[in-house]
Amino acid sequence: MMSNGKVIRTRPSFGVLIVLPLLLSLVSPIANASVAQEEPVGTSPEDVWSSDYIDMIFPWAPAGDNILQFREYHTYESMKQRMERLTEQNEDIFQFHEGLNGGVNARGETTTGDTYEGWHYMHATPWLKITGEVYDGDYNPFVGDSGNYADRPDVMIVGNHHAREWMSYQTPIMVMEVIAFSYDNIGYDNDGDGLIDEDGWGDDDGDGILDDDGDCLALDPSFQDSNGDGTPCGAGDLGVDEDYSEQWITDLVNSREIYLIPMLNVDGNIYDREVFCPAPAWETCPSGGWRKNLRNNGPEPLPDPNEQVDEDCDGVDLNRNYQFEWGWPLGATIPLVPGTCTPAEDERAGISNNDVYTGPFDTTDNDGDGVINEDNVDGEDDDNDGKTDEDWAGGNSEPETRFIQDMTEMNDDNGDGESEYKSTLTYHSYSELVLYPWGHCTGCQTTDHDQLVYHGDELAEMTQYTNMQSSDLYPTTGDFCDWHYGVHGSYCYTMEIGTAFHQHQDDVNHIAVRNLGVAFYMTDIADNPRERADLAIANISQQNYLEKLAEENIPEKGDIPIDICVANQFPYSESQTEILWRTVKPSRMQSDFGPREWATTAWKSVDVMAIENGCTTSNGNGTILRGMIPISETATGKLHYKASVTTLAGSDFYQYPADGQYFVLDLSYRAAYGSFLGSLFMFGLTASFVWGGLAVCLRMMLTDEEEIDLAQPESSEDQDEEDDADSGTA
Amino acid sequence: MAEGSDQFNGRMGLIFASIGAAIGTGNIWRFPRMVGANGGGTFLVPWLFFLFIWSIPLVIAEYAMGKRSRTGTIGTFRIFAGKKFAWMGLWTAWISTAIGFYYAVVSGWTIKYFQLGITGALNGEGVDTTEVWNAFLQNPGQVIFFQFLVIALTLAAIWKGAKAIEKVNFYLMISLFALLFLTLFLSLWMDFSDGTLDGALFMFTVDFDMLSEPEVWINGLSQSAWSCSAGMGMCITYAVYMSKDEDTVLNAFTMGLANNSISIIAGLAVLSAIFAVNPDPLATVTGGSSAITFLALPEVFAQAPFAPIGPLFMMAGFFLALSFAAMTSMISTVELCVRNFVDHGYERGKSVALTGTALFFFGLPSAIMWVKLDSSGVAFPEFLEVQDHIWGYGLMFSGLFIAFSIWKYGYMRWKSGVEAGVAPPGFRGYLGFGVSAFRDDFINTGDNDMEVGRWWDLLMYLAFPILFSVLMISYFTDMVANTPNVWDPSNPKGLSIILLFWGVVATLFIFFNKFLIRRPLYRNIPEGADADITTLPGGDDELVVAVGEVAPGFEHLSKDYTIEAELA
Repeated sequence: MMSNGKVIRTRPSFGVLIVLPLLLSLVSPIANASVAQEEPVGTSPEDVWSSDYIDMIFPWAPAGDNILQFREYHTYESMKQRMERLTEQNEDIFQFHEGLNGGVNARGETTTGDTYEGWHYMHATPWLKITGEVYDGDYNPFVGDSGNYADRPDVMIVGNHHAREWMSYQTPIMVMEVIAFSYDNIGYDNDGDGLIDEDGWGDDDGDGILDDDGDCLALDPSFQDSNGDGTPCGAGDLGVDEDYSEQWITDLVNSREIYLIPMLNVDGNIYDREVFCPAPAWETCPSGGWRKNLRNNGPEPLPDPNEQVDEDCDGVDLNRNYQFEWGWPLGATIPLVPGTCTPAEDERAGISNNDVYTGPFDTTDNDGDGVINEDNVDGEDDDNDGKTDEDWAGGNSEPETRFIQDMTEMNDDNGDGESEYKSTLTYHSYSELVLYPWGHCTGCQTTDHDQLVYHGDELAEMTQYTNMQSSDLYPTTGDFCDWHYGVHGSYCYTMEIGTAFHQHQDDVNHIAVRNLGVAFYMTDIADNPRERADLAIANISQQNYLEKLAEENIPEKGDIPIDICVANQFPYSESQTEILWRTVKPSRMQSDFGPREWATTAWKSVDVMAIENGCTTSNGNGTILRGMIPISETATGKLHYKASVTTLAGSDFYQYPADGQYFVLDLSYRAAYGSFLGSLFMFGLTASFVWGGLAVCLRMMLTDEEEIDLAQPESSEDQDEEDDADSGTA
Repeated sequence: MAEGSDQFNGRMGLIFASIGAAIGTGNIWRFPRMVGANGGGTFLVPWLFFLFIWSIPLVIAEYAMGKRSRTGTIGTFRIFAGKKFAWMGLWTAWISTAIGFYYAVVSGWTIKYFQLGITGALNGEGVDTTEVWNAFLQNPGQVIFFQFLVIALTLAAIWKGAKAIEKVNFYLMISLFALLFLTLFLSLWMDFSDGTLDGALFMFTVDFDMLSEPEVWINGLSQSAWSCSAGMGMCITYAVYMSKDEDTVLNAFTMGLANNSISIIAGLAVLSAIFAVNPDPLATVTGGSSAITFLALPEVFAQAPFAPIGPLFMMAGFFLALSFAAMTSMISTVELCVRNFVDHGYERGKSVALTGTALFFFGLPSAIMWVKLDSSGVAFPEFLEVQDHIWGYGLMFSGLFIAFSIWKYGYMRWKSGVEAGVAPPGFRGYLGFGVSAFRDDFINTGDNDMEVGRWWDLLMYLAFPILFSVLMISYFTDMVANTPNVWDPSNPKGLSIILLFWGVVATLFIFFNKFLIRRPLYRNIPEGADADITTLPGGDDELVVAVGEVAPGFEHLSKDYTIEAELA
């Protein structure tokens, strides 16, 4: 059909129909040809990382949102809003609370929600409960949270005891963002270099260098100190500890209960921001700011910033208000009288301890024996009445500290009467220090000194801060960590982060990044910090080993035994140690034309039993733990195995071989190939079905015209055909 | 009318052609692997079970449809499922042809190995079979030459139509039987010379514990489904050439049983030989498929008795049998495509030439692209594998479409029956009248010695959908579980790429359906055949005519077609 010289086709011919899809097969998966490109390791950040990462644009918020991008400070309001928003978005792991519900606390006192509200602005401290399936688990009517699991260790992370220490709440907020973003977001490439999880917090490989993947160190030196602290490729620099494992964070969230309290001292913080140090705070209050809460000790409801001498002594230093060894700061801050403010004349003379005011003396008879304050909280039975610390001299007088006290004492998931918080962490500013107890005495050591030093060193290595005992900086009294460690045995660290109270807002992001890992480290060790430190100090896990089976060692029948030799000093738990195994067999997906393909089953575990024979480790005698792997005798393929040795406390475990590795064993068919009679029977059956049936069919065809009754002859002819078939093949 | 139709001479011609279509490399190199991987004799139980539950019923349906429609797959769906569904036939034809692209390459390999075998190149002293294989596969000239040879031979065989196909298949199948028996004899001899027939023992020993594993049953089902080519359109195509009163049921049983017979013989031959000489026979058998055929078997055969004649016979015989099996499948693949062209008024010669050319050119990438080495240093053509990955499971849908036509017909008949007052209304009425409609109208037509009973309805309406789902779900869950980046569309082994290609092809075909049904359709009806299609959806399609008739509006075509018909 021609018109105006053009060919108009009214319909594609059938040939076109068939040929069109053929073209498809030509363009079929060319995509496979993508060859892994070696990224040139260049000297500028652009050669390595994504531009977002270089510009420190965090993936959880748009680039222009300065508060969420940690380029401006959160306020109480914006923080609370963000906590609520993230809770809505992550309701399987986040639960938002303000203060506690109250009830009858561990000391028999009746409290209500109001008990925990700040004196002046009347806000209860906002906090998050973070754990996997937080909506499930036990509900705690006093604290108000669900997601309480007896087998999940708890960790408490507290920021902003001191109102003016703004980095101390910004950092926990970033912890919150990282958890929300990383949970179940496995394999996220944080720095956009095409690698995932290649550089976690701290020095993973033990070579003394934080930049495990070497991407920062490969840069031109001019790019190596992005935070400007003078240390090239140090903590908080771009490319250092930048690509942690989202799987690890997810696992932590699923196996721990995190109590994240970014801003304990809401009252003080609002006052500091809005009244005491008008914006920008780093200019109006370069070296000071409001520190305490807003307890009103005088006629004016708020402390008067213009007052030269604050005779009314408004506010309590929350980090001096905990009860352990409350009020006796052994030579630190004058005057040496707990529960009182600086006398007016001293203040006029320029001497003040108002900033570390411990709060008032306790004038109640806490145990009702007619004597007051006869047994202060110090872990000893001072009055020899058989009860310990039952009538305290003071402390925990403030809504904020009572909140911490009751949250700690009323959270007992497993009902053993002890605090769940085996590890606790509080952020402070500033000084770039890691502080561990004690704080209340100089020249003294805790019974866990070595262990506390060990974890402190780990935190110091991660942040490149200095690790020291708290009292070596200056003695304190009634601080958070002394109370948590002294009363509840919790491994507690005070991180003095940054270099100023009101750090300039340009420094918020990299200081928060630098101190992120600390929170996750403390969460990780929350199961049993003491045992973890012991094992690490003794380096004893290196002495155990898993026996690598040779193929000849596979027994001809039955399960396959796998042995692990555990040093006798190692505090292993036989009941919880297990051998993990999986098999690899030819895949059902196997193509008819390609190479052998394998399908890998999921890891399964078997229990171990100690057997009679001992073994020898490089650390002395050991015990053989044997697991029997149930592998069918007919199985072929490969067996992968590894051991997971759980420590006596049951919380920590070690993998042999090291994490992510396993031993491989070739499996060959071990069963008998068959029995003569059985196979003869099956052969007969198959032959009569197939060849017999075929013969019947063929006969029917050849005698097509004849009437053949099907059912009748088939059975009678089977025998014949079977015999025919037999003789044909034998 | 009759002068235009093209028939097999006798029922043996049909049978040999159908068996040839069913028997392919799957019987000879896939079956032994499946037996090895699924517990020997244990595997035979589900494999036999599904022959009767799945394969034979589907073949019965295919024969019945093709015998009535007397057209290839497109025409059959146009007539049986209705105008709107002609694209289902196009899908069936396309999948088969797409597989043909690379199957020709694979068939070429087998001929090459026959050549290597007969010249003794595989059984000399110090022959490294991996080297031989890699050298061959990495030589594009060689691979293309043998691919070309296969296509040329196939075209020569089918150029003249049914009678030629019949003749070629007859000789190939007879030779295949003879060669396999020769190989089997030598294998059993080898196996028995060490005192035990352990290969044979293994193949026929049932492990009852293993029978409870779903894996074995799924493997048995898929082996039966693929090996018999049931539901894939081959039997529709060959049914076009049936004589008018052919017994479809008997043919279906014969074909299925013959297919399984060959599998057993080939399986026994391969397993016995490997068990005779290999220290770890099962690791060898369960290995990659081309590896066992082209690497392990030559090594094994080289140790056959009566050297040097024995190994030579065994090697050449086995690979000749294998290439015959491949050739007969190739013939049916090409014929399926050609038949569709011819149905739509194309000359046979032109159609054959077009199909052959397409096969060759579109097979080239599979022949030479992405020839890689696997982890153990064995070459494999990845492009070909990817093609197989994409189209292999597309075959299943052809079966589903056949079932759909049956279900649709049953429902339609029942509804019109209720309107006419001859069928009872309600669900019970549907069960009684509708469900059995296809069987009553097209299977039990009086030509069959065996009356097909209610069991067939049950299998089509109940067992088929269940088994289809099991196959599909198990396949895709396996894929999702075992393939890294399975959803990445650029992963040639992923799922996205399959769904993408299926989706594009199906969409394209559905779109082109309306052009397709504007073409006249010429049915190949033998004289006196019972080929009434008035009760079918395609019955009122005035463009559906018998060969030699003139379709309204296409008078200009009739002249050409008559000439072609005379030539045939």
